[in-house]
Parts: sequence; structure tokens; C-alpha cells
Amino acid sequence: MMDPRAWKRFRANKGATVGAVLVLFVTLVAILGPFLAPHDPTEQFRDTLINDDGTLARPFELAGHLLGSDSTGRDELSRLLHGGAISMLVAYFATALTILIGVVVGVTSGYFGGIVDTLWMRFVDLLLSLPFLLLAIAFKSVISEATLFHLILLLAALSWTRLARVTRAKVMQVRQLEYIQAARALGMTHTRILMKHVLPNVTGPIIVLGTTLVARMIIFESALSFLGLGVDPPQASWGSMLHEGQQLMVDSPHLMLLPATMIVVTVFGFNLLGEGLRDAFDPKD
Amino acid sequence: MTHSTPKTEETPEIASTKTRRQLENLGCLATFVVGVIFLIGFIVLLPERPDGPRYGGAESEPHSGGTFVFQHESNVRTLDPHIAYDELSGMAIRLMFDGLLDYDFESNLVPSIATQMPTVSEDGKVFRFHLRQGVRFHPMPGLPEGRELVAEDVRYSMMRLMSKEVGSPGFPFYSAIEGAPAYHEGETDDVPGIVVIDDYTIEFRLTEPDQTFLNVMAMPFAYPIPRENVEAHGSEVKFHPVGVGPFRFEGWERGVQLTFTRNDHYFRDDRPRPDRMVFLENVTRELASLRFQNGDIDTIHRQSPSDYRFYRDSEAWAPYRVEFPRMSTFGIGMNCEMEPFTNRHIRRAIAFSLDRAGWSRARSGRMLEAGQILPPGMPGHDENLAEAQRFDLDIAREEMRLAGHPDGLDEPVPFWITGQDDTSRQYGELLQADLQQIGIEVDLEFVSFATYLEETGKPNTVPAFFTGWNLDFPDPSNFIDILFHQRAIHEQHSENRAFYRNDEMDAILDRARSMTDREARLDLYRQANAIIANDAPWAFTYYPLSMELWQPYVRGYAPHPVYSEDYRNLWLDLPRQRLARSLAGRGTGVPAAFFALPGWR
Amino acid sequence: MWAYIARRIFSASIVLTLAIFLVFILINEVGDPAASTLGPNAGPEAIADFKAKQGLDRPLMVQFASFLGVGRCVREASPAWSEDDSERGYCGLLQGDFGESFSHNEQVASVIGNRLPRTLLLGIVALVFELLLGLGVGIFAALRRNTLIDTGLMSAAYFGISLPTFVTGPIFLIVFCFLYGWFPLGGYGIDAADHLRHAILPGLTLAIIGAATYARVMRGELVEVLQSDFVRTARAKGLPASRVSMHAIRNALIPIVTMIGMSLPLLVGGAIITEKIFGWPGMGMLAIESIANLDSPVVMGVVVVFAVAVQIGNLIADIAVAALDPRVRLDASG
Repeated sequence: MMDPRAWKRFRANKGATVGAVLVLFVTLVAILGPFLAPHDPTEQFRDTLINDDGTLARPFELAGHLLGSDSTGRDELSRLLHGGAISMLVAYFATALTILIGVVVGVTSGYFGGIVDTLWMRFVDLLLSLPFLLLAIAFKSVISEATLFHLILLLAALSWTRLARVTRAKVMQVRQLEYIQAARALGMTHTRILMKHVLPNVTGPIIVLGTTLVARMIIFESALSFLGLGVDPPQASWGSMLHEGQQLMVDSPHLMLLPATMIVVTVFGFNLLGEGLRDAFDPKD
Repeated sequence: MTHSTPKTEETPEIASTKTRRQLENLGCLATFVVGVIFLIGFIVLLPERPDGPRYGGAESEPHSGGTFVFQHESNVRTLDPHIAYDELSGMAIRLMFDGLLDYDFESNLVPSIATQMPTVSEDGKVFRFHLRQGVRFHPMPGLPEGRELVAEDVRYSMMRLMSKEVGSPGFPFYSAIEGAPAYHEGETDDVPGIVVIDDYTIEFRLTEPDQTFLNVMAMPFAYPIPRENVEAHGSEVKFHPVGVGPFRFEGWERGVQLTFTRNDHYFRDDRPRPDRMVFLENVTRELASLRFQNGDIDTIHRQSPSDYRFYRDSEAWAPYRVEFPRMSTFGIGMNCEMEPFTNRHIRRAIAFSLDRAGWSRARSGRMLEAGQILPPGMPGHDENLAEAQRFDLDIAREEMRLAGHPDGLDEPVPFWITGQDDTSRQYGELLQADLQQIGIEVDLEFVSFATYLEETGKPNTVPAFFTGWNLDFPDPSNFIDILFHQRAIHEQHSENRAFYRNDEMDAILDRARSMTDREARLDLYRQANAIIANDAPWAFTYYPLSMELWQPYVRGYAPHPVYSEDYRNLWLDLPRQRLARSLAGRGTGVPAAFFALPGWR
Repeated sequence: MWAYIARRIFSASIVLTLAIFLVFILINEVGDPAASTLGPNAGPEAIADFKAKQGLDRPLMVQFASFLGVGRCVREASPAWSEDDSERGYCGLLQGDFGESFSHNEQVASVIGNRLPRTLLLGIVALVFELLLGLGVGIFAALRRNTLIDTGLMSAAYFGISLPTFVTGPIFLIVFCFLYGWFPLGGYGIDAADHLRHAILPGLTLAIIGAATYARVMRGELVEVLQSDFVRTARAKGLPASRVSMHAIRNALIPIVTMIGMSLPLLVGGAIITEKIFGWPGMGMLAIESIANLDSPVVMGVVVVFAVAVQIGNLIADIAVAALDPRVRLDASG
């Protein structure tokens, strides 16, 4: 499916390589983290990690608790590793769901055109004219029992618009091609045409957009967590750890800077990778 | 690196391209090196956090003048004393208004606008107040010099408070006044229980003796306001407050700040002395602590955990801080009409499973462990009752066994908690960890305060919830009657959110209500207090400790036991402060290593 | 042109109505505002009274019609209200009436009127930073393309895009405001100069991502234009390099103008996170406060302002592009 020249262009792109390495790294952290974590991320060591005067154990202070304590006497390293797993899980699944929605909308609307197209595109306009974060906050207030699944659903439901537009444009382009017109004339079913001829043509832009979407999802999840609307306790995500660390910023800056660094590295990696892929698929841009 | 455009460019200056390239590379390297040096310099030269106050104070005689700045993390809702029933609005209102009675620093009732404590009739039903002469309202529309307060103003204000149109949340406190309920319902035009004898004498007649009547007359709901101002502003009067208090209203930029100027005609000697008061709204704890340390804010009453530890451990701040228990009680409310909490043993198991000392550690020791509804210092608080609810896992497991669930509950139990901030999150996680020990899985539900108020007030709706109560006035009835009497159970808006029903205890409370012998009455409340602790409709968690800090140039300040912010007697050591401000400036301090991870202290 | 604008406004107003409806339903699902507004001790009568005053006792559709201003007013608190159904006036958006805030005891229009200028100030400061930094870096990099400087600047821009405000904001606040004391520690200030002084750091925080984006787009466009035929022709004709660059830059600015138009809603919608970090009392703070207080009229007001700004921003972007680029004909593009 991927054309060999694209692969060559991709490999020649140093930024993309760096991006790929970063992405690989955080993904590995996310997958292996929970197994590498030395402690249960929710276990509270109230007597050992919190000193008598209320101060928290610092990094490298106690053997067995490499990064010290978080605000409630839990092992910071374990939380960071588990938090990565949750953050990446949310980001990957939300992206997958976004792509699913976006492609379905984009393809149906670009391929069939007419009333389907108008309705879908008006709906996209509608969503785009609403403030994203505000909407997310309101939704989170409605759902009293928000699970990870709800969070993923929410992120996807509010982010598929751009992907749908891009897919639609590409599909409209492809639809005009002669061999598709011919296939239609030969009586091929819509499903078959879509599967065999249209979808492969939109894969490139979707992969590119999807990669940058993962970065956006990480940011959105963290933003929601920063407002206290992220994952449910006692779970941790990098976003919620950043939120907790912020109020201890003057006293223990590492509690905020560690998850912040992970977030920035992840976002940076996915952005670089996305850009590299874009150059590879579409060299003139 | 990513923008690798083809290098097939033909510019006219091909010849010089090579040297230019080299020059540019050199320049780039230089810029890069300078940038790195700059960044390192930034980090190495990062000033250390100042240990003590930025500005000092001088020993001078109390005097007037200056601007006093204080803050809160939320926003004021209204400046109408008849409407306000939240801490913040109360803070602003108490600067501008004053009542017939007030509390001194020992929680005793003292006369304020009244010349002396009222005379009470034999049967305890008639209260006669004598008013001071020469108490003046602030200027208002049509009256640029203000005017004197008379008994009719007190009557007018009480009537306004009771009227249905105003819809004051404080009305129930005053329903014992003769004719008040009928007037509230709109059945009559007059309240016969309020009688103006002359300009400086007013009498209140009650339908039954009420031991708390003097307390409620000291509440901000009973602060007199002038009729002319209400008529001039109509429903907008909440933005144009006029009272007799030590400060006049100057302005209010919604969500940002309120400003007040000195009222020169104020009648009390223990007045706050600054010329101007500035009340900043919506300043987060983190920001407030930092601004306080920079000298932008003159006092703070709430701190983030790390700032709390910093101030608590700081030698330099020691003379300018005080730490004391607030008259509040917090706990886990359990709905006694809902499974599994219909079972008293489950409730007791939870009460015995809370590691209150551990909670305190996790909160830097900012609380006292609680085992009964009445906080220390409240009349009726019983030192000997401390054992009734405490952390003991053996007892907790035994209670679970008695409840028929030796291995814990099969289903997770939803616990409601208000707010989405770190503090509520942390409390939730502490509870989760504790109840896991007795096999109860806690399913936390974060709700807004509004939802909490609405839903926990309905029967059979919320099984368990984080809850708390802050006193209105220092009398045990303000805790026990309001929170646990069956009278406080309704189809909605119940204040007895645990839906606790105990006829025996209610009988005790009813007996206590109209009793005039103080000691005998307190004895009854002690009994009720013990019943509640043992029956555990709430698992009590803690009484909050409050730390208040002020700048060295803020003088005469002392925390008040009843009001959360009270600035009487306060004055500013102005000249020295000004001097300090102009000398100290702001800016870089001692270099400190930035990333020696042990922090910035 | 005018026909085009009219058509755009028509379709925009349909989208707007639907968007507003969506949020209206949502916000009415969040909870009961009566309890949160009146406090715990409010009796059933007071609550019924409050609901009648605000029209909350009516069916949702009737409330929505009243809110839009196409149905008769249901809010007893409004001057348009009358006991007699046939004499009742209208009190909705079409009449310029946003309703009354529950928690502020004030007209929503005046609450927003208070907050909007602040958010605008912050947005404009941020935009100025974005354009100064972004365009400057972009043009510089494009003119020095494929040198180390270009690579360095573009890598920095890349990194900038990956720096969310909730990471940079707290760090800036602690380092520059608290430890160095160069900027005021949050808040909004007391007079015009003070407001500006307070806006600098939050503006910079907000501007980082935007500046990086502008820098990348500007560089990309400018490189493309510089390689286009007309620039080559101009150079071949011997036009001075500086004039060629000016022409090229002018042409490369077109997509930037579109981007500025698209960013208008962010300008008025407020930056929720940055405002929260720096305690800047703008629209973003208002929005979170109002959702927490269940103050649905204010939430609706913020949403309406934002949604209208989106439509206006899009329109301005289209018109501006047409003005800058004679090849674009608005009437043809429906």
C-alpha cells in the first residue's frame, strides 16, 4: 500500500526519524510501564512516604521509591508509568474512534454527495462553531459517572470534524477519476467501489492526520485533567498528575515537571512523525 | 530538517553563496551559544524563594489610614444582607453593615447598635432592645449626608426579611416571632410581634421561648437597612448596599474586586482603621500565597498544601501567623434509609475504619481528628466522647461481622463528593484506600455543590456523601437540631441529609429547645451528641485547622471565633510599609540552584 | 458580493440556531439551577417563585423559543412579561436580550459586556505576539532557507507547537512573576497601563503555540512563492531583491489572513486554561464559573458570542482573501 518512494523519503527525513523514535519510546513506556512499575500506583504509603512534618519523600531519597512520593504518599515512579499507560490508551483509542467516525462521515458525504453531504457538512459547521473545551466541560458535568470509555467517547465526538472534511475532499477528488466512473458503469456495488478503490486512496492523508490527532488527544486529555475533569481517581494519567503537581509547584517542582515533560515529549514526537509522514506521502507540500 | 526543499535554486549571487553560508553558520552557532548561556544563566541565577515577609512594620501607636487588601478564591454573590447566606458575601456585608448585637472574641453576644443586652420578660418570650442614638446610615440617593438609624428602620428591615417577595433564606430562623409565618405567607400586612415603642426602643414578641433568638438577631440577616435606599434601587439594591458599618460601598467590578471606603461616622471604637478596603475575588490559593509573599495581599486565610508547610515551618513568619480550629465539622454522611446504611453496624464499621491520623498526615496535619458532631470549643462538646468514633480496624471488622458482611460488601457503594479540585480528589482517594481495608469498594462521584445540595436533600437518592457543617451561631442546636432532627426531613431540601430518625433523641432536643437553664440544656445536648456519635449517621472525619497569616505591618488583627474574616481593631503601620515598599523594590535575589530537585526553598 | 454575504449570513444563522439549541438542551440537563442559586434553606415556594420568574417551569421548547426571541417571553422577571398572554412581548436574542444571570443577579449582556473587553485585550496582546514572533521568524527562516538558521528556527517552532499552555503557564508564573518578580502575579490590574502590564505574560503564554504555527505556515508559503514563476521573472527583470521579497511576502500573507480570521472566535471565547492559571477574569473564567454555578443564561450567552464570532471570523477571512487575491471570486464560490 505504501509506495516505496514514500518510504525512502520518510527515511531520509531526520525529523521524522526522531519523531518515530520518540513515539516508539512513549508507546513502549505505555505498554511495558504497568509491568515495570515497582508498586501499586494507588497504594498509599502514608507512614513512610509522608514525613512527620507533612513533607513528601523526595526523589532518590528512599531506595525502592526512586522518584519519591506524590501528594498522597504514593510512589511517583509507579504512577508515572501507569499514568503513561492510561494517557496513551485514551489517546490511541480516541484517535481510532475519531478516525472511524471521520472516515465514515467523510466517505459517505464525499462519495454520495447531495443531501447526505449537505447534512453532514452542516453538522460539521455546527460542531465547529461551538467552543470545544466549554462543551467538553458541560458534557463532563452531565455524565455523573465518567469512565475512561466516556472520556474516549467525548474526545472522539468533538474531534472528528477536520478529519471528515479532509476525507471528504479527497473522496470527491477520487470519485471523479475515470476508473471509478468506469467501475460504476460496469455495475460494481457501492460497497465494493468504496472498499477497493476509494478507501485505499484516502489512507495516506488519514494516517498523517491520525498521527497528529494522537498528539492533540494527549493535549485535550491533559487539558481536561488540568481543569479537574479527567480520569477518575484513584487512577492517574499524565494530565491528572500535572494537575496535582501544579499546586505543589513551588515546593516540589518535579511533581509537575515530570508528567509535563512526558506530555511535551509525546506531543513533540507525534507532531514530528506526522509531519514526516506528510512530507513522505505528499512531497510537493 | 523537516523542510528539505530541493536545492535547485538559482540566485544571482551564486558566487558569494558559499562564504555567506559559512558566515551564517557561524552566526547561527554564536546565537545558539548565546542562547544556551542565557538559559543557563537564567536557571543558575534563579532567585531563591524569600523566606520571610518582604515588608516590615514599625512600633507606632494605632492610627488610621492605608489600604488593606484581602482575597478569596471564589466570588461574592450579593451585597443584600437579607439574601446573602454564603461565607463570601457575608465577609463583604459585615464591612458595611452592623446589627443590634454582635459577638466578641470569646463568642459572647455583645450589644452593637443596641446600647445594652435586651431585657427579656419572665416567660422568655418578649425581648426589648434599646438603640444607640446617633448611629448614621451611609449616604444614599436623596440623602447625601445619610441619616440617623431609628427603631422603625429595624422594623422595616425585619419585615423585608420576612416578606415572600424578597425570599430570604434566613426567614426560618425568625419564624418564632409572633405573626411572622402569616406575614410570610402574605395573609397579613403586619407582624404584630415587632413593636416600635419609640425611636430608640423596639420590642420582639415570640410565640414560644427560643433560646437562640438572640443568636439569630446577631446574624447578618437581621442587619438593618434604610427603606429609602431599597425604594431608590428596587431589585438592584444588592449592588447599592447602604448600612451603618465601618465602611461605605465604593465599587464592585464583578468577579474581580470590591472596594470600600472608610465611614467617618461609624459609632464603635473597635473599628477597622484603614481608609480603604479592597476585596479581591477569584484568586486561587496558589496565586494568593505567591501574591501574599510578594506583599501584594495583606492577609491570607487559605493555603495550598506546600505553602501551608512553608509558612508553618518558617521562623520568619511565626509572629505573623495563627493556627486554630474552625467551628466546623466534616464527615461522611450515610443515608440511614438506604442500603447498605440501614444497617447501623455498617455505618459504625465505616466510622471505625477511617484512619484519621493518616488523613491528617496526607493533609500536612491541617486538621483535628473528629469523633463527634460538636467541634471543640462549641458548648456541648464532650472530651470524654472522643472514643465513640475512632480508627480501630479490629472494631471495624467486628462491626462488619455483626452486620453480616465479614468479607465486605459485594457491590461498590457510590460516595458523592463535591468539587473537582485536588483537595476533594485527595479526600476521595483517602476514603477509597481506607474502606478497602474492610472490603467496601468506594465508587466516587464528583458533583457540583449545587447538585449535592439538591440531591442529598431528597429521600432515597444519595446513599453516601462527603459533607460538613459550618456554624451560623455558637449554639449546639445550630448543629444537632438542623442536621439530625426529624423535623429537618422533607420531600426535598432536607437538611437532615442522613435521613436519621430517632424519636428518643428528638424528644431530648424538643425538651432542650425552650429550656432556659443553660447548664441543664447543655446536658441534654451532650446526651444527643453521644447518641449521634454511637449511631453514626455520619462518620466524623475532621475539624479543619485554619492558618491565618498577615503582613508585619498589619496590626491589631486577631481571628474571630464566629466570623471567618473579621477586621475590627485592625490598623496599618503605614509609614514603614511605604518606606519598605520603596526601598525593597522587586527583583532578583540570591542565586540558587534551580534543579537541585529538593525544591526552591 | 452582497448576495454572497446575504447567503452566508442565512446559512450561518441556521447553523447558529442549531448549535445554540444543542447547548441549550445540554445545559438544561446539567442540573437544577434553582437549588444552587437560592441556597440550601430555600423553601419550595421560593423555588417555585424563582422558576416562574425565570420561566424554568415551562416546557423546554417554549423556553427555547422565548430565549431566541421568536416565542413570547416566559420570564416573569423580564420587562416584556405580562400576566395576559396576548400582551406578552418578546425577550430573546433577536431583541438583544440575553436574559438574566442567576448567580450574578445581573443582565447576562452586562456580565459579558464586563468580561469581553478583558478577553479581547488578552487575545489582542496574544495575537500581536503571535504575529510579531511568528511572521518575523517565518520570513527570516524563509529568506535564509535551508541554512542552519532555518533548521534551528523551524525545529524551535516545532517544539513550540508541542508546548501546551498548561505546561508553560505555571512555569512562567513561578519563574518570571514570583521568583524574578518581573511581572505582576496574576490578576487584571487597576487602570489601562496596569491591565496591559498584567496581560503580557498570559498573552505570551497563549502566543507560543500560535506563533510557532504562524512561523511554519509563513515559512512554507513564502518558500513556495519565492520559487514561483513570477518571482523568478521579477528577479530576471532585475528588480531589487528587497522589492522582490516585499512582493513575495505580500502574496504569502494570504493564508495568514485566513488563519487570523479563523482565530477570531478564540479571541472572544477566552482561553479557559490560561485565564485560570493567571487569574485573568475573562470569558473563559466566566464560562467555568457559570457551569459550576449552573448559571445557564450566562453559559448560553458565552456560547452565543463564541458561535457568532466563529461565523463572523469565517466571513471576514473569506472577504479578506478576496480583497488580497484578485483570483478569488466570492460570488462563484457559493
